[in-house]
Amino acid sequence: MVTSHTYMRVPALFSLLLWPDDSFAVGSIDSVVERQALNPTAITMFLVFVAVTLAISYWASRKTRSSKDFYTAGGGISGLQNGTAIAGDFMSAASFLGITGLVFLGGFDGLVLALGAFAAWPLMLFLLAKRVRNLGSITFVDVVSQRLERNPIRVVTVTGTIVVVILYLIAQMVGAGKLIELLFGLPYQVAVILVSVLVLTYVTFGGMLATTWVQIIKALLLIFGATVAAFLVMKEADFSINILLQGAAENHPRGEAILGSGVLFRDPVQIATIMVSMMFGTLGLPHILMRLFTVPNMREARKSVFYASLFMGYFYLVIIILGFGTIYLLYGKPEYFGSDGGLLGGNNMAAIHLSNAVGGSLLTGFMSAVSFATILAVVAGLTVSGAAAISHDIYAEVICKGNPDARTELALTRITTLGIGVIAIVLGIMFENENVAFIATMPMVVAASVNFPILFLSLFWPGLTTRGAIAGGVVGLVSSVVLIVVGPQVWVSVLGYEQALFPYDYPALFTLPLALAFTWFFSVSDRSARSIIDRRNYHDLLLRSEYGAKGKSLEVHL
Amino acid sequence: MLRAVRRKTRHRLVFSLVILVLYFAYLFNYLPSGEFLAQRLGTSWITGSLAMFAGLIVMFILLELVFLCLDSDDEPDAKGSRLGH
Repeated sequence: MVTSHTYMRVPALFSLLLWPDDSFAVGSIDSVVERQALNPTAITMFLVFVAVTLAISYWASRKTRSSKDFYTAGGGISGLQNGTAIAGDFMSAASFLGITGLVFLGGFDGLVLALGAFAAWPLMLFLLAKRVRNLGSITFVDVVSQRLERNPIRVVTVTGTIVVVILYLIAQMVGAGKLIELLFGLPYQVAVILVSVLVLTYVTFGGMLATTWVQIIKALLLIFGATVAAFLVMKEADFSINILLQGAAENHPRGEAILGSGVLFRDPVQIATIMVSMMFGTLGLPHILMRLFTVPNMREARKSVFYASLFMGYFYLVIIILGFGTIYLLYGKPEYFGSDGGLLGGNNMAAIHLSNAVGGSLLTGFMSAVSFATILAVVAGLTVSGAAAISHDIYAEVICKGNPDARTELALTRITTLGIGVIAIVLGIMFENENVAFIATMPMVVAASVNFPILFLSLFWPGLTTRGAIAGGVVGLVSSVVLIVVGPQVWVSVLGYEQALFPYDYPALFTLPLALAFTWFFSVSDRSARSIIDRRNYHDLLLRSEYGAKGKSLEVHL
Repeated sequence: MLRAVRRKTRHRLVFSLVILVLYFAYLFNYLPSGEFLAQRLGTSWITGSLAMFAGLIVMFILLELVFLCLDSDDEPDAKGSRLGH
């Protein structure tokens, strides 16, 4: 069933599965979406989820009184709650359906995505969590603008944020439409509108508090569902990992090769590009960084990253069982395959079919409902982040110079949220039949090449200046876009040329060092008056970055 | 105090370097020098590659735990670390 052209299809498929969210589902765009029959169990479970989360939104709306409440839930989320919510952003449909589907296709090679999504979190804890939490207030842009010249650096970093959020949103909406069409049998446009309306209800009324609880509930449901599915898979294998792997190797057309590398990917540079994009892109995602401000202090911020790692680590270990479980239990069963020899609904449906194989329609319905819920949670997080970029970073901090009218800011925040919702619907419908694989690639590469280097260097390099940060940020952004356009996803898949000018889908391996090099050069050669302030600010903010408010008071005595 | 900050910064960078080295060691799976990873471990069906994947996840979590233990000393109390947003 894995044919000779499978290897050729992998980059496109992979590009759609790369992200730790739901944009994988745009993979359906390249294939024909086989709409499933209405699944009453799935719909019932999803309606229960919607009812509970709407009740939470109502509760949260009564607690959301200011823009700070709206953006950061008033800083009142505990480390454990925040960690679960962060994990909810990552243990998504892409992880459950996408990575499981890739393992079904090629075994071990599919796991590189899981490692990439996970490995960023130790670095988040070591490098960013504490300092970002101590120096910022609502977005990561606050952190860099304390060190560097306020307006220009805000414009660059907010541009990076908006590019990431909008592109992410398009990929999410198109993915959501296709996935829901696939799982629930709803028409594409209805699915897109439904997702937007629900997300707008959560976010407009409940802000970050409602968003956080939606993510927590979804994360717990997904962990529960995946654990049950893994338990049932292991039961089929007499609770022996050897029997599971042996059965998988015997069933898969590539045999024992699936237990090692080389079935889907062979080029080490290609793997390196994936690994760099995943790791450093995650460290620059604005809606993830924003979660660090929802807890009351730096201790809780660090705890939340650790708890997130625990949940995700567990989940990705479970994915090994699910992935190889699909090979062990689905191959050789004709009811799961179409007349063309491919899996019904495509490889992304492997986990759903596995749920059916081990848990019947009840587990299938449950996992389908959780997959839908995960889209809502991720889109809600993106919407809050986009609203904060416009109403806080631009309106409050640049236009009002940090002194906005509180009521006006909150009103603008809600209007911005509605605007983002409308944009999401329009773009989702506009891009229905487009090949948006490159749109799923760009956010991670841009986050790795623009947001991460500026944030990291502003926290750890005394020599960074505004001029250097802007030069590096602009070069990172432009080079990311250009290399993706001349790469296989746009140059070949969209524009129809025979061969790409740049051979890799994910250019962060090249654009990140380029951004760092430009930042370094323009910083060390900067002799402007502002550069003196920028360099001095590093030392002035050092204690505060490490000790928070206490460090700030200590600065006075030094 | 500044010396303590420098020590903490060194810790951060050393831990990060360890993570980066371990993470990119995964590339060995795709290099000729890492072909041995595709072999099964003894009589089991678990290959070196699969063991590496699971081992890295566990190792990363343990490193986070060690880091949290090392970094928790001489920290101001949680109340003192609140920032006036």
